[in-house]
Amino acid sequence: MELLFGYVDQVLIFVVFALSLNLLLGYTGQISVAHAAFGAIGGYTLAYLSLHSHVPAVAGVALGILFAGLAGFLVGVPALRLKAEWLILLTLSVQIIVNLSVATSRPLGGTYGLQDVTGLSFFGRPLVNPSDMALPFAVCALLVLAICCRLGESPYGRVLRGIREDEIACRSLGKRVFVYKLTAFSLSAALAGLAGAMLVIETEIAAPKQFLFDVSSAIVAMVVVGGSGSIFGPVVGVLLLSVLGPLLERVLNLGADAAFTWRLVAYGAALVAIVMLRPAGLVPDAMTRRLGGLLRRSDGTGATSASRQSAFEVSPLSVARTSPAAYGAAAPVASASGEAVVAVRGLSKHFGGIRAVENLTLELRSHSITALVGPNGAGKTTVFNLLTGAIRADGGTVELRGRDISGLPPDAVARLGMARSFQDVRIFPRLSALENVLLGIGNQPGEHLWPLFARPRLVAQAERAGKERAHEWLRFVGMAQQANVPAGALAFGEQKLVALARVLATEADVVLLDEPASGIDVHWVDAMLGLIDRLRTQGRTICLVEHNLHVVERLADRTCFMELGRITAQGSFAELTADRRLAEAYFGTGAGA
Amino acid sequence: MGEFNLASLLQLTLNGIVSGTAYALLAVGVASIVGVTGRFHVAITVSYTLAAFVAAWLGGLAGVPFWPALLVGALCAALAGILMEAFVYLPLSLTAMRLGANVFLMTFVASLGLSIVGRNVLALTSLMNPSLLISGFNNVGLNVGPATITTLDLTMVVTSWALIGAFSLVLSLTSLGRMIRAVRANWQMSLCVGIDPRLIYRVVFGAGSFLAGAGGIFAAAKTSATPGMGVVPLFYALVVAFLAGLATPPWLVGLAGLALGLVQSYSSLFLPTQWTPLLVFAILFVFVALRPLDVRALQRRFIRTQRQAG
Repeated sequence: MELLFGYVDQVLIFVVFALSLNLLLGYTGQISVAHAAFGAIGGYTLAYLSLHSHVPAVAGVALGILFAGLAGFLVGVPALRLKAEWLILLTLSVQIIVNLSVATSRPLGGTYGLQDVTGLSFFGRPLVNPSDMALPFAVCALLVLAICCRLGESPYGRVLRGIREDEIACRSLGKRVFVYKLTAFSLSAALAGLAGAMLVIETEIAAPKQFLFDVSSAIVAMVVVGGSGSIFGPVVGVLLLSVLGPLLERVLNLGADAAFTWRLVAYGAALVAIVMLRPAGLVPDAMTRRLGGLLRRSDGTGATSASRQSAFEVSPLSVARTSPAAYGAAAPVASASGEAVVAVRGLSKHFGGIRAVENLTLELRSHSITALVGPNGAGKTTVFNLLTGAIRADGGTVELRGRDISGLPPDAVARLGMARSFQDVRIFPRLSALENVLLGIGNQPGEHLWPLFARPRLVAQAERAGKERAHEWLRFVGMAQQANVPAGALAFGEQKLVALARVLATEADVVLLDEPASGIDVHWVDAMLGLIDRLRTQGRTICLVEHNLHVVERLADRTCFMELGRITAQGSFAELTADRRLAEAYFGTGAGA
Repeated sequence: MGEFNLASLLQLTLNGIVSGTAYALLAVGVASIVGVTGRFHVAITVSYTLAAFVAAWLGGLAGVPFWPALLVGALCAALAGILMEAFVYLPLSLTAMRLGANVFLMTFVASLGLSIVGRNVLALTSLMNPSLLISGFNNVGLNVGPATITTLDLTMVVTSWALIGAFSLVLSLTSLGRMIRAVRANWQMSLCVGIDPRLIYRVVFGAGSFLAGAGGIFAAAKTSATPGMGVVPLFYALVVAFLAGLATPPWLVGLAGLALGLVQSYSSLFLPTQWTPLLVFAILFVFVALRPLDVRALQRRFIRTQRQAG
């Protein structure tokens, strides 16, 4: 019986390890091969304090969690801007440094580690046999599951998944990606520290061999096999891969050595097979979402479904004709008509010898649409990138309502009220259309850790209100019917509409639209133009980059013609097309005729 | 910590050249595969170990001399690499691209799986035949002034640099090399000029795994072939490959390996021997951690601040 409890304890420990990594890998999309090292920090802290300071086990575990979290924070800072291969390398170096450090440290017992970590108790109950540990370990695992569930299946987790899908798009919606990634890294490492402490309690030693690179790669395998990004996926992965050993040992009647090796062969083969056959893992992310949706509906707290959806069953064209007054609640605070909201002076950007933008001066006024036109390579999208802080200007200033925003990062610019869409859409493909739009809504309490855990009622209320607003925006663009469809499964034109709804949901009063009508079907173009026209009526300040001259002709109050990074002509569309040089160079003689 | 004198300096230099060359050979294999194909191929350890096992079987069971065993072992390693690319990574990356999934992460996880399978299949064979010494090489010590180097180490250094040099020449002078460099720069564009990236990927996997296999055989010839022998060398090879740069010519990657070997060797003058690997990975950590910093932007910001202050 104790043997069985031993297996149960091992499973529970690795459930905590896998859930901790899933928070990072599954939700944020950051890989770590150092989770065993973070576990070592937690485990060694507990062991050292138990042997030398005789602190209670709970305090030792808490300090282990704290130190592991701090280590995660320190590793998380340089990890923020690293691509996957470099992140693997960084965490690999952390894994090896921690391993070598504990293996060569005399106070930590060197290669033998800290032995005889005994006499621990859990609220007065001594932890001696595997059966003694099963209950506290189960409590820990359930607690971690609850924390991960709360984090992952909340507005906070939605932001993490947004970061996983497209970090740049997330920043453009005003999310502090830096803070989220760092917090996720620290939390993930802290939970791994808890798992490490549990491992030390179970084995009664803290030794380097318990926390090797192989353990880290096993944790990665469990998460991926089970299904990263879903709450129950890692648990399934742990159960499956943990049960292989005892199963092979007993069913196939293999000797302990051979069974151990065969288990690893089967484990590696399962890893390859599952990655090839079920790339999303055994319990894909989408399955958890559906299950979560069912649970929420059954307790009456989630009203995301069919009844509401039917209320928004309208075609894009009919929505485009709806009165804007119906959306007054969601409309931004309008500026006085014609007021200069954005003022750009002397803006320049060079890429090596190429002058992408040169001494550009531009004003964007409220209640009006300004179009940037010009040949490919004229610098139009670069202007958007400079205005929103996606790239840093070499010179010049950008003012938003009189405030100098030059040099501010994209998320800060978005929070101040200037949002953009992208030429290549940058939708979050694995998130539903509704979730895409929800990410655009700013200041949601559930996106922050403290209210998420301390004020659940406020978070639930705000989430319900957020969903209402997101549905309104989806209805505004005629996409309410597809609210629960993964955005990646939508047609390109539909994705553009969802992206527009996402930008509008930020309620930024300056909206920069990069080729909103390109690559979409003609009836979507009509719907899109109707929507943009209504935004102008609402008082928003709009700037668009567009090659489709019919779109520019229909929408633009003012058209700026760009060549080689400069605005060389501006005026109404008619004035520009009447210019003979421009007509020949860009518009074509027909346009000028 | 070692005592500093001319003899110890020379010995440390020789040791550094030997260990650095061993890192270099595997690192060239790793850099060429990761750099050209974008696959984080940690299962190169399978090629490294398989070659050593094959050479040991050939030498121990069939009495094949060292050099033919080395050639066959390295060819087996190359074949293993090609098969992994053809039957695992390529179909997997096509599926991942179709599903919009993270190709890099999926191939990395598959690679972890392959390395676990390979290592443990070899472990099962070693349960049946535990004697895995590579025979047929007459290894003796040679005196170089007051220092010593073995003939095996000397042969390893010469052979490794010959292989690295040959690979560099192939890459820089032949049409195959141009095609490899073209695929490394832009595989989609290379398709437009009639180069098949799938074929090039297989060639690169074959070449990189061959170099890794040769390295594995020399490493095993010093002690013996063991299933886990590839793991630690892979870590060092990754350090060298990424420090040197994945698009760097092989001979430069080799020099980076040599430099790392020498740094590690000389560091034993002022660090206890067990701490020298820590130094290597601390260098890696600092290098990777500082990598995202845009030093020029920081300089510009500093100059601007100074001007504003002035």
